[in-house]
Formats: sequence, structure tokens, C-alpha cells
Amino acid sequence: MDVTFKIRRKNPDVPGLEKPYWQEFVLADVDPTDRVLEMLHRIKWEQDGSLSLRRSCAHGVCGSDAMRINGVNRLACKMLIRDVGEKVQIEPILGMPVIKDLIVDMEPFFDHYKQVMPFFVNDDPAPADGRERLQTQADRELFDDSTKCILCACCTTACPSFWANGHYVGPAAIVQAHRFIFDTRDQAGQERLNILSEPNGVWRCRTIFNCTPACPRDIEVTRAIGEVKLAIRKGRTAGIIQPSEVH
Amino acid sequence: MTSLALTVRETLRYRGAIGQWSWVLHRLTGVGVVLFLALHVIDTSWAVFYPELYVKAIAAYQSPIFTLGEFGLVFAVVYHAFNGLRIILFDYKPELWRHQSQAAVGVLILTLLVLAPVFLGMLSHVIDFYVTEQAIAGDKFMDVVVFSILEQLPFIAGFVGVLAAAIVLAALFSLVKGEGGARGKYPHASPVERFWWSFMRVSGFLILPLVFGHLALMHVVQGVFDITAAQEVAGTLATNGTIGAVPSAVEFVYHRWSYAAGGVFIWRAYDLCLLVLVTLHGFNGLRYVLTDYASFNDFARRTSVALCTVIAAVLLAVGAAALFVPLEKDVIHEAMAATAEIYELRGEEIPAELQAYLSGDQ
Repeated sequence: MDVTFKIRRKNPDVPGLEKPYWQEFVLADVDPTDRVLEMLHRIKWEQDGSLSLRRSCAHGVCGSDAMRINGVNRLACKMLIRDVGEKVQIEPILGMPVIKDLIVDMEPFFDHYKQVMPFFVNDDPAPADGRERLQTQADRELFDDSTKCILCACCTTACPSFWANGHYVGPAAIVQAHRFIFDTRDQAGQERLNILSEPNGVWRCRTIFNCTPACPRDIEVTRAIGEVKLAIRKGRTAGIIQPSEVH
Repeated sequence: MTSLALTVRETLRYRGAIGQWSWVLHRLTGVGVVLFLALHVIDTSWAVFYPELYVKAIAAYQSPIFTLGEFGLVFAVVYHAFNGLRIILFDYKPELWRHQSQAAVGVLILTLLVLAPVFLGMLSHVIDFYVTEQAIAGDKFMDVVVFSILEQLPFIAGFVGVLAAAIVLAALFSLVKGEGGARGKYPHASPVERFWWSFMRVSGFLILPLVFGHLALMHVVQGVFDITAAQEVAGTLATNGTIGAVPSAVEFVYHRWSYAAGGVFIWRAYDLCLLVLVTLHGFNGLRYVLTDYASFNDFARRTSVALCTVIAAVLLAVGAAALFVPLEKDVIHEAMAATAEIYELRGEEIPAELQAYLSGDQ
């Protein structure tokens, strides 16, 4: 079947194309099971070599091909043509400067990420056997969901609070902080909670729930943010995370 | 402004789920209610301080534009209240998030269910007003509309004054404080924002019964049309005495606020609770909305904060003053002359009782 792609483009190097504009491409012989990313490759290889996008692993693990597909943030490598239909609209993710076509400047996003200390902190000497610091399965379960984040920025750039205010730390950085805040072996939890209780920390979240369905890894993003808010409010991390209901 | 324009445009374009639209509606209804609140607190204080202005303000509120506005207001309050409960639920029980979109639909259904009888009740007051002898003479209709708009000019002037004050305050603050903290590198934890986050939720919960009680008594049982016609005030007992032969809005307020049960002015206490909670909740909410879109610039952000603070302080001071000042019977006399003017404006006969009252007064 034929599929029409309407793509939001911009090329700062070519006079006349510095401002964002729409361009349509029609691809023939498309299978419903083809992936959107492959189709973007076909456009680039068969029709217009100047089309620019990021991708690396192409299998939903590296998180580099986040884009707005038919109005919502998705990874192009995880979307099949049968999911998006015969008319596909593709734009860069919103809230960070567009460099070229679908490529945005991710530096502001990673700046927020770095601010929450996204690394394990424990200054105690390692256990006597020199191996890992053990924890119970129940303790490991607490932050299991937030370990899945691949930093694709789908959640942060789906958030109206982030669109309005780029200083807001954003859902992804809070999920990354959650992964360490609720790790019983980590010792910098309170420091991260202090960082996130700043005016542009978690309090800019208005519980809009745009981030959760945007996550290609099905992380319960709004829930994670909510748990961080409760931890700040109660001044502790123990007993905050309730078991999920069976669904 | 760029951030506001971008957010508005992209919110319309982004295909977010229902939660996104709940948020849009929550903001719009919140801002709508807070604007009304400013108007409402100031003009209600006139019942005590400037009775003739109060009589005219109430006459303006009985005009068609404000009747439409009142229906909008009641919708806004009811939706904001129920959606607020939804937000509180998922903020305190984040593990229940899977039900949030059902809850958003539930909020809409509940709002409609509550509004149906309420709107019918309000509509019956409107119909009564236009069908009975109180109807405005046809050729005076535009006069009444123009009058109602002109009556709002002092508010516009007041707002400009407050805005100027906010800009001056923000400038002074910037001089003292230098570059703002919003762009800083998270220097320390801010207990302030944590407090306001909790306050919004707790106060929202407390406001709900108070504001629903207030709406029920003052907008449904007795609407803005009854306030100039009723002989009795809902929520008070006859021991209070009845309103005289010529009812006026000022006398209505006088009776309501003079009513003491067991030595306690219950409606003053009730209105004071409502005033404090709603003003703080409303203007902190407005601060959230404004600073969301003003954070690109320190000065714009500080002006937004100062604006909300100044208006809230003015409303609390004026509202509390009106509630604490002892009421004098004089205010009722002052209201009578203004009532006669309203009859003339609306192209109606001045009732014989009022004429008798006014001539007896002189």
C-alpha cells in the first residue's frame, strides 16, 4: 500500500529553509508490519538524503529516535505502519530547540538529568567478600519500574508544564531520581529530595498524566512523580510506595 | 508570552489523553472563579462601606450579561471542585493512577448531574424575574447593559493600580535580591513550595462544603434576583426580624450578617472562613498559572508573584474589614435613594412604599 508521510522540517544551512515547514513524501509498497523508522530510512535513502533524524539501535533500547508521531510522542522504531495508518504526521519532540528536521538539542534535557545526581551513592566500605551490596527482593521491587527508563525524553516533551517552562526539571529526571531515592542501599536520597523540592522541581507537576502514556517503556511515570512528592512531603522514603493493584 | 502562546498552540495540537483536557478545564475554571472572587469580595464590602454603590452593583448583576456569567461561574466552581478532588486522590494515592481517565470522565458526568437541577433552579429565578413585574422596559434594555459595564470601570482602574504596584514591588525586590533563584542550581530545599502544595489540597477539600453551601443558599435557593426582593434571608430565623416594606440588597446583607445564633454571628464566621480559604487557594493557584508562563524572565515571574500577593492581601483586608465592622442601620437609609435611581434607570415606576419612605426621610 501507499503511505503518505507529512514531516516537519527545518534546515538552518539552506537559505529559505531555516524556518520550520511541512513536506510530504509518498512511499509505495509499504507493509502494515513495516516500522515507521524503516520508512523514514526509505525516504532518506530513496527520495531525500537531506532528511535528518537520530537513531542508533533501532530496537527500542537506546531511546534516540523519539519524535511526535500523529500528535503523540513515540519511538519511531517501536511503531508499526498498522498502528499509525496511511497518513502519518511526524514532528520533532517539543520543548527543546530544533537543530535540523527531527533532531533537537538534548542538552537542556540532560542538564536536568544531571541535576538529580543520577548515580549510586554509598560511601560505606564494600561488604567483606568484596562483592555486591545485597538487598531483599521486596526492596529491589520498589524501584524496579524506574530502572526501565532509557532517557528518550518522550515523557518530558509531552508535559505541558515543561513546554511552558524549560526550567522545570521534567518527568524523566524525576523518574531517574526515583530510581535512586527508593533504593535502600543508596545514601543520597535526602539530597535528591531537597533538589526536587526546589520551585522548579516536582511541584511544577500538575498531575496532567500526559507523560505516562507517552513512555515507550510503559513506566508509570506520573505515579513515580507522585511518590517522590509524597516522600518530600513526609520527609521519608519508607512506606511511601504502595503495592500495585492487580489488573 | 512566547511560552504561553507555544503552550496554548501545542496543547491544542498534542493528542494527549483526557487528563490533558481536564487540566485545561481546571485552569480555565480556576482563573474564571478567581477573577469573579476579586469582584465579589470588593463589591460585597460596599454593602457596609458604600451602600449606594452596592445597590448599583447588584442591579448590574441582575442584567443579562451577568446572568449568563453566573451560570458560567456555577459550572466553573462545580467542575473545579470535582476535578480538584480527582487531583487530590491521585496525588495522595499515586498507585491508583490506572483509574485516572475513568475518574476524569466521572468528574464530567458528576458535574452535569449536579448542574442539571441547579441550573433549573437558577433558571426559575431568571424566568420569575423577567416574567413578573420586575422585567426591564424594552427601550431601557440597552441602558441597563451599558450601565452594568460602566459599573465595572472602577475594577479596571483598580486592577491597573494593583498591576502598577506589583511591577514596582518586583522592581524593588529585584534591586535588593539581584538575579533570581528560579534559574539557580537548586541551592537548597524550599519548604515554601511544599507548604503551598499541601495547602492547595487541604484547603480545596475544606472549601468544597463551604462553597457548595454558599452557592446553594445564595445562587439557587435565593439568587441574585431575590436579594432585592426577599422579605426573609435564607439561613436565618424570623427572630432576626423581617426586612422592611421596601426590600434592598443592603438590608438583605444587613440581616444576614446581623443574624446571631447562640451569640455567634454564624454567617460572618462562615463568610470569613470562606474568604480566607478561597482567597489563599485562588491566588496561589493564579500564581501557579502565571509563573508557569512567566518563568522565562525573572522580572515577569516576580511581577506575577507580587500581583497575586497584592490582590490577595487587598481582598483579605477589605473582606475582613467588612465582616468585622459593626453594622449601622444607616446603611439601609443610604441604599434607598440608590434603589430609586435603579427604578428610574430600568424605566419602572418607583413603588409607593419607596416614595413614601424617601419623602418621609427628607
